[in-house]
Amino acid sequence: MEIKSTDRDDFRRIYDGNYHLIIQVIMHIVYNIEIAEDLTQEAFERFYVKNMTFPSEDDARYWLIRVAKNLALNHIRRNKREIELVEKVRHDPSASAQTRDAAASAVEADERRAVRAAIESLPENLRLVIQLKEYSGLDYRSIAKVLGISETNVKVRVYRARKKLEEALSTEDRDVY
Amino acid sequence: MCIDSQMLSAYLDGELPEPYRSQVEEHLAHCSACRKHLEDMRALERKILSAEFPEDVMMRNKDSIYSFLDRKYFESGRKVSFIRRRLEVSMPSLITAAAAVVFIFIGGFMFFGSSARQTEDILPSFAMQADSSNVHFVSDTASLDSFSLEEILQYLDSKGYNVDISIKGLQPLPASSEAEE
Repeated sequence: MEIKSTDRDDFRRIYDGNYHLIIQVIMHIVYNIEIAEDLTQEAFERFYVKNMTFPSEDDARYWLIRVAKNLALNHIRRNKREIELVEKVRHDPSASAQTRDAAASAVEADERRAVRAAIESLPENLRLVIQLKEYSGLDYRSIAKVLGISETNVKVRVYRARKKLEEALSTEDRDVY
Repeated sequence: MCIDSQMLSAYLDGELPEPYRSQVEEHLAHCSACRKHLEDMRALERKILSAEFPEDVMMRNKDSIYSFLDRKYFESGRKVSFIRRRLEVSMPSLITAAAAVVFIFIGGFMFFGSSARQTEDILPSFAMQADSSNVHFVSDTASLDSFSLEEILQYLDSKGYNVDISIKGLQPLPASSEAEE
């Protein structure tokens, strides 16, 4: 079904259906909820202002993910100096974990931190692919469309990212125990 | 032979097409090493997923951002979107349109000519001078070619111009050139 970005109902449908996806994509690049919310809003504003007609909901979604990803990457590049701040946020245990058993949540937070650091250390081409795969629930075909690469390329990159993450995280385990 | 890791990774993602998928499953049924490998990959995936940001934090401002955008673009905004659509004309089509207008304007004069009355309708103050009886060729038959250099110089001299003519860069023909030709 065609999606017109300036149509109120279409806009609502795309917003509701993709907000979570878009903010996840951005959050995994900027690691700061306030910035992620700002950039998510910006992405949807661009969607409206662009005044485009998309052949399908999927096409609108791919477009939005591309814009979100670029906004987040640009933000990071522009704000290299704020990296320490981002680092602090990432290393903070997430707010919702505080209600659970303190020790368990500390271990979980450690693990989360390790995983995020490992993903962060991946080269950009692998990082984006694995993030879109794991956190956005996109299949190879969708990731290929978003990034403008072939499905085979996606398959290879997902595999390489996993391999690198496995190495990084198992090294970390050895360091810990 | 055991399964290639890349294939296993695609299998884990449910992205392995037939007949490879069945072959992988068949192999997994009797190869514990590959089962272990797959299990390790699953464990890694769970670990990666555990780093996902909690839903409630992610979604906390979804509604407020939506109502902001809705107010900004839709509530007061039907007209805005109309104007925007009007203004967003691509450059080439704008140029084409402008060229068409100029062409039609000039073409109108070319094909239908212009009379003093028409000119008066369009440009009242210009009508008197632009009448075709007032417009004639300044130079009719005599062009500069019909005068010799000497006559031109005399004319300019009589008008009080001080003209000095010199010829530069002339070189005597080498003696041999004639022989060659």
